[in-house]
Amino acid sequence: MNNDLKPVMEGIFEAGPSPQLIGAICPECQQKFFPKPMVCPQCLGEVQDIKLSPVGKLYTYAILRTKAMYKLPQPYAVGWVDLEADGLRIFTLLDPEKIEDLDFGKKVFLRVGPIGVDNNGEACLRYYFTTQDGGDK
Amino acid sequence: MRPVDIIGVGITNFGKHIEKSLVELGGKVAVEALKDAGVKPSQINAGFFANMQAGSLFSDFTIGQNVFYQAGINSVPVFNVENACTSGSSAFNLAWMGVASGAYDMAMVLGAEKLIIPNLGLMQAGTSELDTLEGMVVPNAFAMRANLHMATYGTTKEQLAMVSVKNRRHASMNPLAQFRNPITVEEVLNAPMIADPLTRLSCCPNADGAAALVLCASELSGRYTSKPIRVAGSVLVSGSYKNPCNLAQWEADKRASSIAYEMAGLGPEDLDAVECHDAFTISEILHYEGLGLCPEGEGGRFIESGATTLGGKIPVNLSGGLLSKGHPLGATAVAQIIEGVRQLRGEAGSLQVDGAKVFMAECMGADKAGDVKTCSVNIITK
Repeated sequence: MNNDLKPVMEGIFEAGPSPQLIGAICPECQQKFFPKPMVCPQCLGEVQDIKLSPVGKLYTYAILRTKAMYKLPQPYAVGWVDLEADGLRIFTLLDPEKIEDLDFGKKVFLRVGPIGVDNNGEACLRYYFTTQDGGDK
Repeated sequence: MRPVDIIGVGITNFGKHIEKSLVELGGKVAVEALKDAGVKPSQINAGFFANMQAGSLFSDFTIGQNVFYQAGINSVPVFNVENACTSGSSAFNLAWMGVASGAYDMAMVLGAEKLIIPNLGLMQAGTSELDTLEGMVVPNAFAMRANLHMATYGTTKEQLAMVSVKNRRHASMNPLAQFRNPITVEEVLNAPMIADPLTRLSCCPNADGAAALVLCASELSGRYTSKPIRVAGSVLVSGSYKNPCNLAQWEADKRASSIAYEMAGLGPEDLDAVECHDAFTISEILHYEGLGLCPEGEGGRFIESGATTLGGKIPVNLSGGLLSKGHPLGATAVAQIIEGVRQLRGEAGSLQVDGAKVFMAECMGADKAGDVKTCSVNIITK
């Protein structure tokens, strides 16, 4: 993995061979969030950083066939993934090389890798989920 | 709050207006609405101008004053409103509140947009949003809903395509629509794929256009028109952003329409015609369910039954909808209400619903957290 690339947005994941998304939890409400909010929107209390589950279940997905923003591959897929361990449904890019494997309820695994560019047009790291189990690609 | 009527309207065709500036388009409909209402510019106590993209596309701002200036409307408060696709209905809601409260006797609502420009690209929810950075653009936000609706309720690609076919058939009778040639289900399905299952003919095109209307306190409207159209319910809501989100249903539609039905003392069974935000074919299917026109999950079978076509139980998007007219964002939701005014005045020509008395305009805009940022429902009656 190209470790000198910046994340597409600061503070949303830890890269590396076992990447994790950085969410938050409100100690009062026990509600989890991703991405981390400024304060808990329910009680306005401070929230604490937590690492979210790297395994999820695909709730729904779509494949965009037209020319993409941010030099994302054409076609590419996105979806909403249920992180069942956290009780959260999150939006994510999906593995562009595994588009044909997508299906409702399919188990998916978190990865972080160099895909596309950021708002400054510079190559960057994005989080995505893949249907392929095990190990860094 | 006191009753409020619509007493005048003005509208351009939706399509290419390359030769005209945004301000010229707006000025034209402002003058038209004043003349239709039979009022002088000095009788307008406030102006509400809706536009979404001119700030980013043309580095233009506080455009409403420039538009109203052309129609001789000056000195009074002018508000510039941006609320995505509901910019026009948000301006309408504010103007209605202003007149209903007694602050103004008469107000103008005007929406205008120019989107026919080279390399416009796909709409997205803002480049500072994480979802956008992770690949969310508007077509795949709707394709995810379409895929889930098909998997959950058995809705078919053909049923989705029927929305485009039905709206295009209506558009063939609307001289103001951009695309007026009838199309078939096969043509929709075989058009270039944008985001499966949505093809180019399942997505609304861009357009330039403008629309304006004059609101007046009901106690005064009899001085200007014999056909005042009453604002029976006007509602604007934001998303609730609950997690987990439900992408197969639109809670905001249900919430906004139930408030509007209560304000109007009416229900879905009372509606004679509806214009809704058919930015994509799946949107119209979801609106049938959200507005209570059919039960949850039945939207696909509802379009197939013919209920929403001219002559059906509850005709939807008789104008041809955004799928045929195009979607000049700021003008869209004002134009939807004008379609209703025409129906209730009995001026809809070959698209007229006989004896139409109750009309609903629904609009929705912008994605956030798997929900919508903004949703409007207006019910007007005669």
